[in-house]
Amino acid sequence: MQYLGNLSASTPIIKKYKASAAQLIGTVVIKSAANASGQISTSTTTSIANALGHVLDNGMGNAASGPISYSTTQGADEAIFGVIVNPDQILRAQMVTGATGTAITADAIVTASSNGLTFVGGTSVASPDMDEGIVWYTSGANVGKSRKITSTGATVTGTVIVPFAANAVGDTFQYAGVNIGLQGVTLTTDLTKVRTDIAIATGATFSILDLELFGTGDSYVHLLLGGNAWLQVQS
Amino acid sequence: MNLLIKHDWTAAELLKESEAGGKKRNRVAGGWIADLAAQKKVITLCPLCTGKFNPARVQYRKEKEFPVCQATCDGCSTFDIRCSLYIYDELYRQVRSTADERRELNRHRAARIKRGFL
Repeated sequence: MQYLGNLSASTPIIKKYKASAAQLIGTVVIKSAANASGQISTSTTTSIANALGHVLDNGMGNAASGPISYSTTQGADEAIFGVIVNPDQILRAQMVTGATGTAITADAIVTASSNGLTFVGGTSVASPDMDEGIVWYTSGANVGKSRKITSTGATVTGTVIVPFAANAVGDTFQYAGVNIGLQGVTLTTDLTKVRTDIAIATGATFSILDLELFGTGDSYVHLLLGGNAWLQVQS
Repeated sequence: MNLLIKHDWTAAELLKESEAGGKKRNRVAGGWIADLAAQKKVITLCPLCTGKFNPARVQYRKEKEFPVCQATCDGCSTFDIRCSLYIYDELYRQVRSTADERRELNRHRAARIKRGFL
């Protein structure tokens, strides 16, 4: 993930925190659990509860000994990572499919729609359910145009309300289970990319701020830390 | 002949020096920052210290889209709201998205749409 800026347009706030596990650069770190050693811990693919911020370095050393990582060995360096802690920070993550983050699957129209209200491809948009997600064309008459998916009645058929131009068999399109204002995305196992092949609003409590809808390998989603530790309401 | 200058550390100074990420007791700032740079860590320097650091020499990149950040200076351990942020150049693209990069992507997008394939 890349730090893009802040919702409030303020300056980034950088803190150096002690880790209670090895951290990966560009990931979101969360508050350490009770009785854990450090101050920050690793998020998961489906949870950023108590998020503290975004890791800016990886503790990597240029010595032959390799990365400086978390250690409980007496005399070893303490693992400390630079973290952007703004609660309203905007993070930019690539859209991918699969747990390890391969390019988004491009689909092709198999049944033309003259009224532009449906797209019928070769893969299921109903399971996982892409209803309320986004669809955009990457070739044909609608290239570069996107619409919100409003229903996914049949397995391979998605519906929109604002019509596209008539599509044709062979036009390529992409879809994703993400859309503006939805909360919940599932990350890849390296915790740096967003999976689009998961049903909408599933996973970690990121809120989606914006979408960059390009090709299979360069589409991005902008995220806010919905589950951050700084703005929690105490009863 | 070596001149030894005694420094009387107060309890407050010792506590401050033991903070996470802070310069350790008896360390010269330059050496401490060189250590951080060798580990490719993020470096934050206040306006007074930033002029003494040459980022290009250690393959660091100064964050220019955000001219200032709020951080504890790695040189003088003072919290300052006008620190400069330095990120190891090789790691920069992994943690930062810049307007230039997005502008280039948008230019490609427009060209690709013109060609009929995004």
